[in-house]
Amino acid sequence: MKVLIHDLDRAYDDRLAPKCDRMIAADGKYAPCQGCFGCWTKHPAECFMKDTLQQVCRLIGQADELVIITRNLYGEYSPAIKNVLDRSIGTSTPFSTYRGKQMHHTLRYGKHALWKVIVYGEITEAEKDTFRYRAERNAVNDGFERAEVVFVSDISGSEALI
Amino acid sequence: MKTVFINCSPKKRFCASAYFLMLQRLFVGGKKVTEKLRTPADHARILGQLKDTQAIVFGLPLYVDGIPSHVLRFMEEMEVFCKENDLHPSVYCIANNGFIEGKQNEPLMQSFEHFCTRAGLTWGGGVGIGGGVMLNVTRILFIVDIGLLLLNTVLSVVNTGNIFPKSAWVSFGENAALLLYFNLGVLFYLARMGGAIRKNTCSGKKYTRILIPSFIFIVFADIFFIIISFFEGGLFRGWLAKKKIEE
Repeated sequence: MKVLIHDLDRAYDDRLAPKCDRMIAADGKYAPCQGCFGCWTKHPAECFMKDTLQQVCRLIGQADELVIITRNLYGEYSPAIKNVLDRSIGTSTPFSTYRGKQMHHTLRYGKHALWKVIVYGEITEAEKDTFRYRAERNAVNDGFERAEVVFVSDISGSEALI
Repeated sequence: MKTVFINCSPKKRFCASAYFLMLQRLFVGGKKVTEKLRTPADHARILGQLKDTQAIVFGLPLYVDGIPSHVLRFMEEMEVFCKENDLHPSVYCIANNGFIEGKQNEPLMQSFEHFCTRAGLTWGGGVGIGGGVMLNVTRILFIVDIGLLLLNTVLSVVNTGNIFPKSAWVSFGENAALLLYFNLGVLFYLARMGGAIRKNTCSGKKYTRILIPSFIFIVFADIFFIIISFFEGGLFRGWLAKKKIEE
């Protein structure tokens, strides 16, 4: 299953939907993670906040390919995209293991194939390096076999990259 | 000199970020202000504190290899605010993560450097701390130890009239020394960064951790989550199951 998360205007939804199996429009109309670990310890793979991201980890967890379209912000995801990712830690379990010679959590949904990030907006070379490094870290952390980062100056043709 | 400490943890209390900022305050002189950043309602108040400050210390948890979303929103606003008001304070960062390797905070630190570049601020450096949750537990254990010492002293006075129960003090001293040992790496690097804040210089990026072997840390971390999950009920609600979406 291919899951797409994007922070573009909702007008892009119709163009992007045919390119994936499930789509998450990161419109920012949801709460940030409260760091309670309840999605591990109280109600597994579910957030206590009853908004559109309440079960987002179940969706992301079942993705073979995860494609993220994000605006650049200091070599980070945009706040709206990061909010979605912060709320999705239930894709893993509270148990610890070693992956890539570092400590991580075991995967609730097993291994995935591709963590792909399409970055738009003005960006420096140093921020590009950070984004590549970040995507690799994300892939290891979430159990994706490989990471790919694409930088685009014009987002209008983004569906061709998915 | 004024330093603003911004606690960026979304938790209301007992957060590791507050603990590390409290330790950092011990090594910084001058006027010190601590602010809590949890919601957009906090932005204007915190930005108001930045107008006459020389140094800002962010204390935050690592979320998904990066900066928590609510902090990113604040940083965007702060960038605009600092440019509009021609502010150029030094920015320092104390990041902590639940895993044992402090080095896992590296992408977060890099983003703070890029933030400083874009906002025209001076990057002062940071300390990335592994095992943040467990280090925070050590402060709670220290408070418990003090409570036990007081209780034993009271019982000793009531039962024997002795106001200095030696065994209770020895036990307290041993426990305190052990807890101090776990925190030594953090204390060293925060003291070092405190010196840089006082001199308004850059301390660079440093990474440290709770001083416990990894294989022991992982066992304790797993036990911690089993106990919490037992009391919160998650253990009995498909704790490790591949949950499906409820449409």
